[in-house]
Amino acid sequence: MKPILTAKNLTKSYAKGILALNKVSFTLDQGKVLVVMGPSGSGKSTLIRTINGLETFDKGELNVLGIKIRADSDERKIQKIRRRVGMVFQQFNLFPHLSILENITLAPIQVQKRNKKEAEEYGMYLLCQMGIESHAKKYPGQLSGGEQQRVAIARSLALKPELLLFDEPTSALDPERINEVLDAMRRLADQGMTMIVVTHEIKFAKEVSDQVLFIDSGKILEISSPEVFFSNASHERSRKFLNQIN
Amino acid sequence: MNNINPNLNTNLFKKIKNSLLAKSKYNFCNFIFFLISISLILKILTSIFINSNWEVVTSNLNLYAFGSFPIDQQWRPTLWFFSLLSITFITVYGPKWKWLRKNLIFGWIGTVPLGIYLLSGGLGLNPVMTRHWGGLTLTILITSCSILFSLPIGILLALCRRSSIFLIQKSSSFYIDVMRAVPLISVLFFGQLLIPLFLPVGLEIDRVWRAVIAFTFFVSAYIAEDIKGGLQSIPKNQIEAAKSLGLNKYQINIYILIPQALRVALPAITNQLIGLFQNTSLMAILGLMELLGVSRSILANPEFIGQYIEVYIWLASVYWLFCTIMAFVSKKLEQKMTINKGY
Repeated sequence: MKPILTAKNLTKSYAKGILALNKVSFTLDQGKVLVVMGPSGSGKSTLIRTINGLETFDKGELNVLGIKIRADSDERKIQKIRRRVGMVFQQFNLFPHLSILENITLAPIQVQKRNKKEAEEYGMYLLCQMGIESHAKKYPGQLSGGEQQRVAIARSLALKPELLLFDEPTSALDPERINEVLDAMRRLADQGMTMIVVTHEIKFAKEVSDQVLFIDSGKILEISSPEVFFSNASHERSRKFLNQIN
Repeated sequence: MNNINPNLNTNLFKKIKNSLLAKSKYNFCNFIFFLISISLILKILTSIFINSNWEVVTSNLNLYAFGSFPIDQQWRPTLWFFSLLSITFITVYGPKWKWLRKNLIFGWIGTVPLGIYLLSGGLGLNPVMTRHWGGLTLTILITSCSILFSLPIGILLALCRRSSIFLIQKSSSFYIDVMRAVPLISVLFFGQLLIPLFLPVGLEIDRVWRAVIAFTFFVSAYIAEDIKGGLQSIPKNQIEAAKSLGLNKYQINIYILIPQALRVALPAITNQLIGLFQNTSLMAILGLMELLGVSRSILANPEFIGQYIEVYIWLASVYWLFCTIMAFVSKKLEQKMTINKGY
């Protein structure tokens, strides 16, 4: 199994000497799903955002899809990664002035220079997969949160990414709407998509993940399989965390 | 919702009734106010309909519309007016076809070169010197040319102001700050008197174009500030989403930031453009025969001497009419462009 992502001693500090990431090292193999858990402020969002360069880091090395980046790597190298890594945000972050289909086809047309018709056909195919093809002509504001998040997933899939990042994709949703998004993510995992998911959904983590990464104060406390993590976590802090959210 | 409105109405009604029929001293105040306003209205109406001699306007309508444009060529500005009117009409009431909406902007941009061509002639039309341009034609031409140039420059300035390159950022903020600190009239004088001094010998820019340049300099700084406000209103996560899709800085500006910023800034920009339309009257001081310039020359005519009231009432209503049209079009555009944010 070839690793898609390798992080070596990633370190990032904020101004007051607080470490957002403290020597974070891990690898992720192709086709695996990694769930990142941790209390709020633990650095899990920072971690996932460093992978596609939305956050910078101070020390260490990151190898994403064979592209090595260091603290001083320039924007172009990071852009190469972004073209092959999709990201889904907590607040959906759809472009409100573009229709659903335009949201999805913007990047394929502008970044990958695909022709418009082909991009639209593929966009419609993705919307069908997400079960929201009837909304293609609408605007983001006319859709519910769950539908918007599924559009966001379709948008990140439009570039045919080799790795998908989810930053708390269900945290801003109504409880009733969470499952429709999780189901879509489950289907992606079944299709063999490599994913990193920051989430608090224990059921989803148990069923879908191959690895669970627990992080607190910027430090990885444990990486283990979900069976071990949820029944017999090795670190005391993880057990305390699991007790609290259960 | 439906329950609230009737209550509000009755409350409002009660308030008016109470204030009218309240204690006697209020009654007295109301009565005085009523008397004053009635007498004012009567005064204005009599001066408009009885004491005034509107011949000063009616006999000079041609001058007001076209200035001293040759009479046999006046179909040219008329044609231009009609093209402007029709594109306004299409913008406001036209069908919702997507290709039409997308290309309407080019129609608007096209009206300016069309106007310049129709007015100045050449290419098969008799050339007409700019000193014959005047009246409403000239006012609208200066306004529309300045709008056409100052909008893109304003957008560019706003973007430069947020640039990460130190020199570009500082120089554009310096430009904006200077332009906002200088009164318009001095910029106009600068345009008329100083631009010729800076130009090499033999190259000469016409008075009208010097005015357009000066207005563009001035208004673009203000528009840049309005668009800056629009840019600031866009949440940071929009940029992050665009970045995560691999768009570069240029693409983020073109496809994500500017379209959203323009929508937010539209009311403020309209304000600037209405101001620009009114401010073209300052050119009368500098000797251009636009609406106010024509009025001044008519008042200097011994035949109409002293008829200030008629001329200025007429002038005010013409400006009012066009500013109202501009505000109306912008309001309609706003309604069409509003983003449904869903909350």
